[in-house]
Amino acid sequence: MKRNQNLAAFLFLLPYLTLFCVFIVGPLVYGFWISLHNWHILGKSIPFVGFDNYSRALKDDLFHLSIVKTAYFVVLTVPLGNLVSLLFAIGLNQNYRGTTLYKACFYLPVVLSISVTSVLWRWLYSSESGLLNYYLGTKVQWLGSPDWAMPSLALMSIWWGAGGNMLVNLAALKSVPTELLEASSLDGASSWAKFRRITWPCIKPAFMFCIVMSIIASSQVFGQSYILTNGGPADSTLTVVLYMYRQGFGMYQLGYASAVAYLLFLLVLTLSMVQIRSLATQMNRY
Amino acid sequence: MRIQHFLLSLVAIVVGWGCHSQRQMEANGAIELNFWNGFSGPDGAEMEKLVKKFNLDNQGKIKVRMQIIPWGTYYDKVTLGLAYGGAPQVFVLHVNRFPEFASHGVLNTFDDLIKDSRFPFEDLAPKAWEAAHWEGKVQAIPLDVHPLGLYYNLDLFAKAGITRPPTTYKEFIEDAKKLTIDKDHDGTPDQWGFAFTWLHSNSLCFLNQFGADLLTPDLKQSGLSTPRAKEAMQRMKDIITAGVCPKPEGQDAWLGFQTGKVAMVLEGVYMVKGLESQEGLRFAGAPVPQFGPEKSVWAGTHMLTMPSSLDPKVRRAGWKFIQFLSANSIIWALGGQVPARKSVVQSPAFQALPVQSEFAKQVEYVHYEPKSIDYNLIATFGDSAFEAILNNSDTIDHALATASRRIDNRLQNK
Repeated sequence: MKRNQNLAAFLFLLPYLTLFCVFIVGPLVYGFWISLHNWHILGKSIPFVGFDNYSRALKDDLFHLSIVKTAYFVVLTVPLGNLVSLLFAIGLNQNYRGTTLYKACFYLPVVLSISVTSVLWRWLYSSESGLLNYYLGTKVQWLGSPDWAMPSLALMSIWWGAGGNMLVNLAALKSVPTELLEASSLDGASSWAKFRRITWPCIKPAFMFCIVMSIIASSQVFGQSYILTNGGPADSTLTVVLYMYRQGFGMYQLGYASAVAYLLFLLVLTLSMVQIRSLATQMNRY
Repeated sequence: MRIQHFLLSLVAIVVGWGCHSQRQMEANGAIELNFWNGFSGPDGAEMEKLVKKFNLDNQGKIKVRMQIIPWGTYYDKVTLGLAYGGAPQVFVLHVNRFPEFASHGVLNTFDDLIKDSRFPFEDLAPKAWEAAHWEGKVQAIPLDVHPLGLYYNLDLFAKAGITRPPTTYKEFIEDAKKLTIDKDHDGTPDQWGFAFTWLHSNSLCFLNQFGADLLTPDLKQSGLSTPRAKEAMQRMKDIITAGVCPKPEGQDAWLGFQTGKVAMVLEGVYMVKGLESQEGLRFAGAPVPQFGPEKSVWAGTHMLTMPSSLDPKVRRAGWKFIQFLSANSIIWALGGQVPARKSVVQSPAFQALPVQSEFAKQVEYVHYEPKSIDYNLIATFGDSAFEAILNNSDTIDHALATASRRIDNRLQNK
């Protein structure tokens, strides 16, 4: 009986498992194999070079720079983006008319593709005819200046992605026990005290989940810098994934590009494991 | 190895899904040719006219199907097609990408076809013709030579009392000062005398005029750490510090010229059609002024090529199409190009095109990017340095030294 159940479970899993193996595990293993070779797409021979591509990447100052720029993007987007998401969620958790409309409006950017979002913001950022300079009365080169380019990409990314985390935070806020909030009101607790002592502990796991997911997503930023700035000006928006893309599809150095991809994978994996561990510790506390 | 080929073939199948097989191509009697290019701008419309004319002239014999793929992804598709199947029978390569493809042996050679058909190769611009050779064999036919040139706003020139475009650096700075106006007196000009648009071509033009280049003449190391390269960068910086040019703005600078906020720009001849459709803009073209001691100007060329493995019949049909495009390149010139054929450039029809004919005056001293198989690996290092220098985020010495180190490293560890 149990054997039949296992077989049935396996058969139910089989379609997904097949797709998972073909489209995830297969390319993952194949990518690693490519990273051990010196491979130009048009090359007649594909010499095995072992871990040479990895050691080259670790010595490559542009790869180092791309990690620094990616970290800068993460620092700009993750705290501010999550704070905005939380504030939106708190605002939408109040009882007033039109919250559904606001929810839809705040979530709308998430459904747009990065290409559409980037083209839209390119017009906003244009130093010659952009709305941003027009309304602020400034002449800033938002995308043309090495100092402003990355903050500009970060601002756009926050606008684009805040709605997703807002929904997670809102769901967490909805699950805060109302009896606790009512009891604290009766005891005369202030709004801030209620948020700090009741709401925050309840939503903290969801909020931390958003932080972990945001760090993973931001570490892989590509579309923004590819479409809006192509890594420039002066490499100020050269992120790791863009660097990898340039190596693979601009220069056709597939082995080196795969090595960069694997190094990024290891970096994000390490970061995620540290955060998940800390998240688990936090959750055990509550 | 088998798995590797299987997976990559899968990718190639997806890429070349729309392509017909050789057998299908000859199914209706007519040989079908796929022709790929990246002419997604107004030039595409002129090329479409040429293809239609060819198809009409060769009805029932050869049918060309043109596919325009934006340049951003064009080379990915061509490369995959050439490596794993699905490549078109005729396609376009830029002159700076030609060595990379030729060196991998994926391009067809034209020597026998040229001889048999008595193709008038002596009518081609000498530099473009030389660039089409690889290891002594002709592997492409240059369709055009598209040099950089000076575009200037006629109304702004008239208002400033300037009657002719500048030809020297001194004249250029004097004119640019007259053309730079701070209407609201806030310290930032509202109208600029000049702006850098595409920094890649603009910077290389300056480098070449100072006798420098990205690579040394033997193509073995960076050419950016030379005193001449530093002088060229200093000259570009001087234009900004003279207060007549904003820091590089890329697309916005071009938009500034289109909307009359910038009086002069250095851009390719291929931008002329876009400007012609700009309402209210009166502009003209002229050769690039002499910024440095050497007479030189950046240029590109569209090369017509075919893949190495082709059925003889298809190869001959492809060659016929290439000859047709070359012979009828006056139509191509209308799209904003300078044809590579000298006879076409000298024709009254071409000389009647005001901007194209002005830019064509530079053809004899154009300077192509280094003919290196590694050019694609190192070009971006130079661009980053130019951006850093002109944005004041790095010194000339340090930025060029960094770019040189990266270029040399890449050439050693490719």
